[in-house]
Amino acid sequence: MLDSPPESNALLNPLSETETVEPSAIEDRMVRLFDQVRVPLLRYLSAFPLALPDAEDVVQEAFLSLFQQLQRGKSHHNVGGWLFRAAHNLAVKKSMRSRSDAEKTGAFIGVEELVIDPAPNPEDQFAFDQRQQRLMSVVRALPEQQRLCLYLRAEGLRYREIAEILDMSLGAVSIALGRSLAHLSRAAER
Amino acid sequence: MPQEFHLSDQELLQALDGELTPRETERAQSHLAACWACRSRKQEIETAIGEFIRLQRSALDGQLPSADGPRALLKARLAELSATQSGRPRWFRGISQRLGWAAIALAVMAPLLYWSLSVARRAPEPPVTVTVPNPALTPGAAVLLSDRQVCGQAGVKNKLVPVTLRRQVFAEYGIRAATPGAYEVDYLITPALGGADDIRNLWPESRNLTVWNAQVKDALEDHLRDLVCEGRLDLATAQREIAENWIEAYKKYFHTNSPLARDY
Repeated sequence: MLDSPPESNALLNPLSETETVEPSAIEDRMVRLFDQVRVPLLRYLSAFPLALPDAEDVVQEAFLSLFQQLQRGKSHHNVGGWLFRAAHNLAVKKSMRSRSDAEKTGAFIGVEELVIDPAPNPEDQFAFDQRQQRLMSVVRALPEQQRLCLYLRAEGLRYREIAEILDMSLGAVSIALGRSLAHLSRAAER
Repeated sequence: MPQEFHLSDQELLQALDGELTPRETERAQSHLAACWACRSRKQEIETAIGEFIRLQRSALDGQLPSADGPRALLKARLAELSATQSGRPRWFRGISQRLGWAAIALAVMAPLLYWSLSVARRAPEPPVTVTVPNPALTPGAAVLLSDRQVCGQAGVKNKLVPVTLRRQVFAEYGIRAATPGAYEVDYLITPALGGADDIRNLWPESRNLTVWNAQVKDALEDHLRDLVCEGRLDLATAQREIAENWIEAYKKYFHTNSPLARDY
């Protein structure tokens, strides 16, 4: 289980209290947690080559695994980090299996494929599109580990949590984030 | 004052993320206070982060489907898991005694099982005809709306059921494969009569395998809504009757024992 630093994102740790939770209450709390964390998890999963239904399945499976853990009386500490790690592991397996399916049925709309709302006039729109395209091509071209670090950090996870999820050292997380941000800022400057 | 060193991108990022030790933070802050170049670089990194976050959230969040379907599915699966867990102690009672019988049964059944599986692999699965939902799986679910609220909503259409929820519905009904269009995952109580987006209100309705198909049920739904909105039937009765047995409701309200041809 991940250690949660004191300043860790409170949104992702709604079950992190140390009190014992009654089994009957776990389901309700899981659903509340689902409402809070589903979208951040799906955003993170958009870094994988998964179709949206597969990404939704991954989120469901992660929650069911967590539920079983909680039912067995496992620790509730840093549930958000645990969910991201479970979703990451499931996504790695699933993306290997469903890569070809996604190509056939239409891949999950990843951040690199998004169409942004139009700007007020055509010139601004053009400049805006160019900038976004540049940014997205940089994100797309990032090495996988740098891209995953970036997506996890974007969801508010701390370096220690990212290191646990991706099985990296703290230093490697810091370097990966530094490099990905350097690439992004160069793209933004141009 | 000339600067002898500059902060690396990594240090600037760690400073922004609150990942430096107190001593390192103090050093970085005093450097930033005196160094325009590093302040400018820090600003660039912040801008890049901001653009990435804006891009990801403004567009992606808007494209994600509503949480209603996935939430309903999760609730159903959690309830199922809870039921399994609460039943476990009984399963474990006397398990060692049963284990012996199970081993004997397995030895007897294994050749039979192998044969049946090999036959099943060769033979295509026959289509399952679903004319009425299984009340244990699909009892029907409605939102709290009055007759006036239901009738005030003009042109209410059934929402598209998310793929994950459709899969779950098919799985519950044991339908593993079907030709495209053979079934419609339909709302038992239609949203036009206050039906809820809930797995308990969804079932795989045959389109072509039976005369009591999705199109016939659509006719009943339209007719019941007309009756409710004309004040000739109360909403709760319409919801209850369609949920209990929509075919019987059809026969009752159309005064017929077989589906009528419908003008489209």
